[in-house]
Amino acid sequence: MSLIKLVNVTKRFGEITALDRINLSIEDGEYVCILGPTGAGKTTLLRIIAGLLDPDEGEVYIEGRPVNGVPPERRNAVYMFQEYALFPHMTVWENVSYGPVIKDWDRDRIDRVTSEILEMVRLAERKDAFPHELSGGMQQRVALARGIASGARILLLDEPLGALDARLRVDLRTQLRSLVKDQGLTAVHVTHDQEEALMIADRVVILREGRIEQVGTPHEIYSEPRSIFVTSFVGGANFVEGNVAEVGDSGSVVELRGGLRIQVSKRGRSIGEKVVVAVRREDVTVGTEKVTGSNNILGMVGSVLFIGGSIEYEVRLENGERISSRILLSDAPKTYRVGERVVVSFPPERCYVFPYPKAGLLKEIEAV
Amino acid sequence: MVSKARKPLDLSNLVVWATLGAFFTLVLLPTFYLISYVFLRWNEVRVEVFENPIIGDENWRQILKVLFFSFRLSLSAVAFDLIFGVPLAYILARKSFPGRTLLEDIVTLPLVIPTSGFGFSTLITWTTVAGIGGFLGLNSGLISLNALIPIINVPFILFVVHVALTFPYVVRTLETKFQSIDVTFELASRTLGASSLTTFRNILLPLAIPGVLSGAVLAFARSLGETGATLIVSGVSTTASIAIVRWASEFKLATASFMGSLLVMIAWAIILPVEVYVGQRGRSLKVPYRMPRALHDRLIKFERFASKRLSRIKDVVPLAVVLTTVVIPIIVVLNSVIRYWSADPYTGKVQGGVLYQLFGPSNYFNSLLRATLTSIIVALASTYISMCLAVPLAFIIERRWYGRIIRTILKVPMIIPTSSLGLSVLLLWGPGGFNLAHPGIWLIILTHIVFSVPVIVESIIAAYEGSGLQMYEDSARTLGATPYNAIETVSLPLLKGGVLTGFILSFTRSLGETGATFIVMGRDVTIPALVVNMVEALAISAALFTSTYLIVLSLILLALIRLLTRRR
Amino acid sequence: MPEVRLVNVTKRYGKIVANDHINLTIKDGEYVSVIGPSGCGKTTLIKSIAGIIKPDEGEIYIDGRLVNDLPIEERGVGYVFQNIALFPHMTVWDNIVYGPKVRCLPPEETRALALEMLEMIKLSARSDAYPSELSGGTQQKTAVARALISRARLLLLDEPLGALDVKVRAELRYELRRLVKDLKLTALHVTHDQEEAMSISDRVVVMKKGRIVEAGTPINLYVRPKNIFTANFVGEANFLRGVVTQVNKDRSIVEIRGGSKLVTKNTDGGVGDPVVIAFRPEFASIVRKKRLNRLSGKIVDVLYSGSIVRLKVELANGDRVVVKKALSFERPTFNVGDKVTVNIPPKDILVYPYPEEGLDRALALE
Repeated sequence: MSLIKLVNVTKRFGEITALDRINLSIEDGEYVCILGPTGAGKTTLLRIIAGLLDPDEGEVYIEGRPVNGVPPERRNAVYMFQEYALFPHMTVWENVSYGPVIKDWDRDRIDRVTSEILEMVRLAERKDAFPHELSGGMQQRVALARGIASGARILLLDEPLGALDARLRVDLRTQLRSLVKDQGLTAVHVTHDQEEALMIADRVVILREGRIEQVGTPHEIYSEPRSIFVTSFVGGANFVEGNVAEVGDSGSVVELRGGLRIQVSKRGRSIGEKVVVAVRREDVTVGTEKVTGSNNILGMVGSVLFIGGSIEYEVRLENGERISSRILLSDAPKTYRVGERVVVSFPPERCYVFPYPKAGLLKEIEAV
Repeated sequence: MVSKARKPLDLSNLVVWATLGAFFTLVLLPTFYLISYVFLRWNEVRVEVFENPIIGDENWRQILKVLFFSFRLSLSAVAFDLIFGVPLAYILARKSFPGRTLLEDIVTLPLVIPTSGFGFSTLITWTTVAGIGGFLGLNSGLISLNALIPIINVPFILFVVHVALTFPYVVRTLETKFQSIDVTFELASRTLGASSLTTFRNILLPLAIPGVLSGAVLAFARSLGETGATLIVSGVSTTASIAIVRWASEFKLATASFMGSLLVMIAWAIILPVEVYVGQRGRSLKVPYRMPRALHDRLIKFERFASKRLSRIKDVVPLAVVLTTVVIPIIVVLNSVIRYWSADPYTGKVQGGVLYQLFGPSNYFNSLLRATLTSIIVALASTYISMCLAVPLAFIIERRWYGRIIRTILKVPMIIPTSSLGLSVLLLWGPGGFNLAHPGIWLIILTHIVFSVPVIVESIIAAYEGSGLQMYEDSARTLGATPYNAIETVSLPLLKGGVLTGFILSFTRSLGETGATFIVMGRDVTIPALVVNMVEALAISAALFTSTYLIVLSLILLALIRLLTRRR
Repeated sequence: MPEVRLVNVTKRYGKIVANDHINLTIKDGEYVSVIGPSGCGKTTLIKSIAGIIKPDEGEIYIDGRLVNDLPIEERGVGYVFQNIALFPHMTVWDNIVYGPKVRCLPPEETRALALEMLEMIKLSARSDAYPSELSGGTQQKTAVARALISRARLLLLDEPLGALDVKVRAELRYELRRLVKDLKLTALHVTHDQEEAMSISDRVVVMKKGRIVEAGTPINLYVRPKNIFTANFVGEANFLRGVVTQVNKDRSIVEIRGGSKLVTKNTDGGVGDPVVIAFRPEFASIVRKKRLNRLSGKIVDVLYSGSIVRLKVELANGDRVVVKKALSFERPTFNVGDKVTVNIPPKDILVYPYPEEGLDRALALE
């Protein structure tokens, strides 16, 4: 039985449909990330699970029990705000023991649980401090500790790392996950950072304009994206337009602008269909020689960028199209300069083929 | 996505209805009754005001004259407030300098000091030999009581008092508004090449328009309703508020109530549209106003020059205004009470000394003790009752969908001239109406509740908004707190500052109120009313002492407010 | 030509020294980023250059001219704010023409410039919109256009992308760089996001506690950070404590806790010195063959993120290191519990003297 189950959950704010018939099951002990751009309805979904919002339609089940109309305090799900919402008039100790005290546990148990958890988040020494005296990272840990101490089985995390510096955020990802796993909790974590989601989650839910676009393990989402939007939002890719020119047994041939032809291993498209081919930057290599079994296209290095331990080349192809390639610094045999003539290669089996979107390609991939 | 649509906390319906019921009966009903009274007894009004068998429509002509005078006074005071209050508010909001808090306190002082005491201080300062006149070596006051300011034709002394009493409303409202405007807008404008004055005109002022308007509205309403100080310094002039007090005491109830409801309706007609405009979120002047190019360029050049060279003026002049209208009168009174302690220093007569007047045959000391007792009972009782009403009311305003409507309605008692208010309470609950109480302490309490509730509610709401209370409460709920628990352990402690500030503001307001009190007090005289009585009885030294007493009392209260608000 | 030179710039807030004798020169046409954890003084630095903050000591030169006493509006710099700060009561058009207007430029010229700017940010169609009607990314583009319309040659970017979504942020940063390079501007960009800084800057300045820790090209800072804090701040790194046991001409041997020995090319200090060695997770590899610098251990966690897999390996001595690999088909998959050997090439091992303040303090991110 799923721990959390949403059936046809719909929520509207005036004219806007924030959530449109959401169906989702979350298992006990799972770490699920809800990923999507601003305004996708992520927070609304989380608040509905918490009971801070009521859905207009549909049912929410927790532990198999329908909870529509059940107030938040009786749902066993604690909500952690991006701003942490630590009670400013209480010390760290009082904040963390808030849940146990309000639930009227006996004194010994409150003290034991609180000190154990403070120890666990390495804040035992600061138990008498007030929230505003702590750094951002510490406040985040207090909020987490407070949630865990309340005895809830479900943690609802709304951009839990969003208020922290970029570098710190990366460090805290794994800590957050191991804390949740060690405690045997179930977490629903909302974020707009795809890297964060891929790294932390057991399962990722991609939300777009109030609808679920895809659900799957991080690996599935990354390697088998179901739409152009998911490909672009998670991991990113090169997108080129073309028409299917040949359909064979092992794959098809797509003709790009300027008559350039590439092999793709996907079948089942009809000849002449307008398609979008997507290739991950990481699947494109840059070299001086052709690679057998791959698509090889001549081009010229347009720019070289250095991104977090990787080198990214933007290569201008002979047909004017641009293709980016990203290679780990440690895997790059040599570096190429701007203006150098190179061959970009990518294997047919790493090409995704999508029907050309009705609203145009830009609408699907543009973030701004 | 944040949403307002979430289910409100379960304030049990009983509490909601009880609160709303009490609110309508105690706070709103009197005013509406005043207006309906005029219609219900139209015949009486018509006979007394328009077709008086003896004086014809003389009363009507009086009403018109008084109304014109009042509006002239109030409008010119507000205009003056704006000219000098805007720069002062800007300095208080944006600059940090030693003594900033002190300056803030001094500006706030007239809000706290009972107005009759303050009016008396101003009177002494300007028109008597004990004030500036004597200091300059004259044998009389610097200015005569009835000297008019040209053009606006308003007595100087009346104008000064009204400016001092309304100034804080403009300055403090605008200060808060300026503070709420992100400073990066100004910085952006500066980096784009605009001087600080140009930035002020183009960016800060348009964005602060709601603040300017609500400050002006508050100041205008205050000036229109001011009675305590006006009674003391009015001389031969009559403002609308005093006229009501006078007619009420002459039992010309029909004329008084006609005048009162006219005043209320005119005030609303001016103020409510502004309030509705301001109440809409995110209001600002939209278009950067157009002007001819040559003028525009010249203006910008002038602003650039003025930003550099004349910036001292904008710092100094408002300070001078505060100094002359607030600080000097207080110093003069404190100084005089010492000089007049045992005898009048000019004539040498013991009868003119403080001691004689207090403990001599007239025994004002006894009256003062009684008045203190009355004032404190009234202030405590009315504040306590208002508190019980205001706390749930503030929650209803924030949590229920009709909250905004209630908040707008709440402005109604805030902008009623206080003497109209007193009259309305007298008519409704007094012997002529429901006969709940005779003029005296109970009627005073009923009157004070009307203006105390909005004061407390506003200060709780101010603490509520920007505290992120909803988030804290939601957090508490998901941690296992019931709605009641969440309010008790999270909301109320977080609102403590606002609640206490509201308490003290209401307490001081009640302590200093004169206009309404005068009408309903009967024989239970409060301290500010006592000052008026003393002045009318020409017991100047006793009035000096009582004013000092009031000033010291309010300074203590002000210090308390400071202490409570600093914590956050 | 806009060249910015800071000489001994110092700013104190009470006891806190926000900028401690900062010396920095930004060359004409350079794109320089300042990074560091919250409270390191980077914002104070950029605000001092704009004239928003007055330094207590030191001189600031723009184009060789001392600007310490010049008010903000006369410094002629473009400034982009983290919270965007578009005037909410003005349309996109009025926002953009604000600068020329208050500088009294002729209306015809103003109009031409504004059209050009709108073209540049591809917003011509929405010039009548109010800022609140635009997405965050579009708002920030408008703010950049507003800052540039008066032909400012020095662009100060104060966490310009901080308020935006990760994906938008990643896209806009390249647009920013392209704009700066196309218009031949000089740019100073303050951010707490090292990846952002590293990917678009010509030079990166790392700050900590009011001081400049290190400055250099992104790739140098990444591969050869001179300072241990930089090593941690600009990217992921593993840190192991050890002692130098042998120093040769161009290589030394460090014994890490537990007795394993590592050969390093980067020599620092003498025999017996306590040191910290650092290496980037992607420069380490999992090997079978006997080679130099082997550390045996056991995989305790496998983290996939897109094309990258991170293996957390617990070494024999209990220390944990991360090894990062590009994920591809041919490579074997890794499982928790696998016994593996980690290899680190000598040239990729960085050696630092053990910090006096302790390792945790030296690496602290806040």
